[in-house]
Amino acid sequence: MRKERTQTLLKTRRTALLSAATLAICLSGGALAADPPLRVLATVGMIADVAETVAGDCAEVTTLIAPGVDPHYYSATPSDVRALSQAELILYVDFALEEQLAEVLRALSGRTRTLGVLEAALAADRLLDDPEAPGATDPHAWMDVSRWAEIVPVITAAMSEQRPDCAPAMEARAAAYRAQLDALHDWVGEAIASIPEGNRILVTAHDAFYYFSDAYGIQASEAIQGISTAAEASIGDILEVAEFVIENNVPAVFVETTVSPRTIRALVTEVRARGHRLEIGGELFSDAMGDTGTPEGTYIGMVRANTITITDALGGTRPPWPAVLGDWAAVWSLAD
Amino acid sequence: MLAALFDSIPAMIVLTGVLVGAAAALPGVFLVLRGNAMLTDAISHSIVFGVIMVWLLTRELSGPVQLIGAGLTGVLTVALTEALTRTGLVKTDAAIGLVFSMLFATGILLIGIFARQVHLHADTILLGEIGFVWMRTTPVLGVAVPVSMVMLGVVLVLNLVFVVLFWKELKLATFDPALAAALGLAPAALHYTLLTLTSVTAVAAFDAVGPVLFIAFVIVPPATALLMTRRLALIVPLAAALSTIACVSGYFLAVHWNVAIGGMMATMTGVLFVMVLSMRALKRQLQHRRPVPGNPAPWP
Repeated sequence: MRKERTQTLLKTRRTALLSAATLAICLSGGALAADPPLRVLATVGMIADVAETVAGDCAEVTTLIAPGVDPHYYSATPSDVRALSQAELILYVDFALEEQLAEVLRALSGRTRTLGVLEAALAADRLLDDPEAPGATDPHAWMDVSRWAEIVPVITAAMSEQRPDCAPAMEARAAAYRAQLDALHDWVGEAIASIPEGNRILVTAHDAFYYFSDAYGIQASEAIQGISTAAEASIGDILEVAEFVIENNVPAVFVETTVSPRTIRALVTEVRARGHRLEIGGELFSDAMGDTGTPEGTYIGMVRANTITITDALGGTRPPWPAVLGDWAAVWSLAD
Repeated sequence: MLAALFDSIPAMIVLTGVLVGAAAALPGVFLVLRGNAMLTDAISHSIVFGVIMVWLLTRELSGPVQLIGAGLTGVLTVALTEALTRTGLVKTDAAIGLVFSMLFATGILLIGIFARQVHLHADTILLGEIGFVWMRTTPVLGVAVPVSMVMLGVVLVLNLVFVVLFWKELKLATFDPALAAALGLAPAALHYTLLTLTSVTAVAAFDAVGPVLFIAFVIVPPATALLMTRRLALIVPLAAALSTIACVSGYFLAVHWNVAIGGMMATMTGVLFVMVLSMRALKRQLQHRRPVPGNPAPWP
């Protein structure tokens, strides 16, 4: 009886020891294995690309609004619903851009950490007002690389906060990316400066280029539509821009990937009918990046493509591609 | 158990669809029978007029004031259409087109004149994305229930009470308005109440699921049910059942193909209609193979 009891006791003790050991192994294993990647949801590709570049393996970044889609028009698929409900960090630009989603993002901020990158990254005096709506912010800040570079530390901090183990690696990647963006900013400035002064006028379908204008010294005051693409362009708007184009001898105007080319075509027809020459200079990425898997599907590639299109059409010369961005170009096997 | 149900996002999405389907079927059956179902589409357009009027009066872009404004615009659309039809000079369908295009155009003009700089359009107040209904919740008896479901539930009860209370009158006024009037049943008042309820249902549904899905639910399931039976008392529950099938199958197909949820549900209402229609056609053809003696020869 006594013996039996001792045995039981021994057994119990052994079991306890075993489970303690198992627990220890588990704990150390847990500490060794990396945390699961942070689930980040970005509303548009321009933010997602920055987050992805900084995060590396530390986060899984989902983009809500597909490339080539105007954020003003959007409908939800089941995978969007899943991404929204499971995200640990939601990054958006500004309510003025994600109009349709604004209410949803506000509703979600109660349960998920949401971050408006523009407001967090840029002081109020660096944000431009929507010239047609006093008090409202123009959201298209990604058009100026130096301003967009400011969202890199903000996003890095927000992700590091939730995955502290990843912080050093993310900070290193962020620093490298900022160096690339600084070089890109100088390259764009040089390219635009090469355009003959009288030609430095950017005419587009909607007002997405005020930051570009502000940063790189090209006039962008004449667009057919305002900041938002939700309103219809009127005949008066088109005629007004046509007169401006003729008066200033603008050689080329631009269509945008997310805006119907109809209004720009109407403008070209009108100007030509009055006996002036006007070309469509090409397609610019304004509210969304290019397709995933193409160079234009990255932020750097989008800026590069826009700059080349504008420089070539308005008679400038492309400066040499910066050496810091050689690695980026090599990934996409782009010469120059 | 109940809380777990309200925690499930797919359940919330499908249930919202089912609620819209049921709330829409009640007035929908009578609208389809009277031939003015497209009033719901008209309301979705004339709301632009309501949005700008409310903004001009209150400078509010969203919230309950805008929803009330949308409801009143719906009633205005209905009243103007009725007044035009009543003259006997214009047919119902033309009257619907006249009224809503005029209100829509006036709204766009007013926005152009007074509110160019404001981001103002019908979507501003009527977000309507069925995939997002689970996000805005309000506590009901300690359970977090989506706001849209509460609103739709109230509208459904209102519609149900009205249809059950005035069943006989609605039936008579729909099929024989002259007799209904002769019997002193005030078919016009009944008609107005029905259309006002439709307008209220429309605004609640636009806010929850967007206009297109709502219009699909008002028209397609009742039209499908009308192909299946002639008994009015069966058509309403049948239409609600058809919408439920469309919601559930639409949701799973949307997941399968990863496409817009609302769009897939609307598509399924159409698929069900085509299925029933082809079955009817097939049945008729089989019957026509054996011409009934004494009947004139059918269409070749």
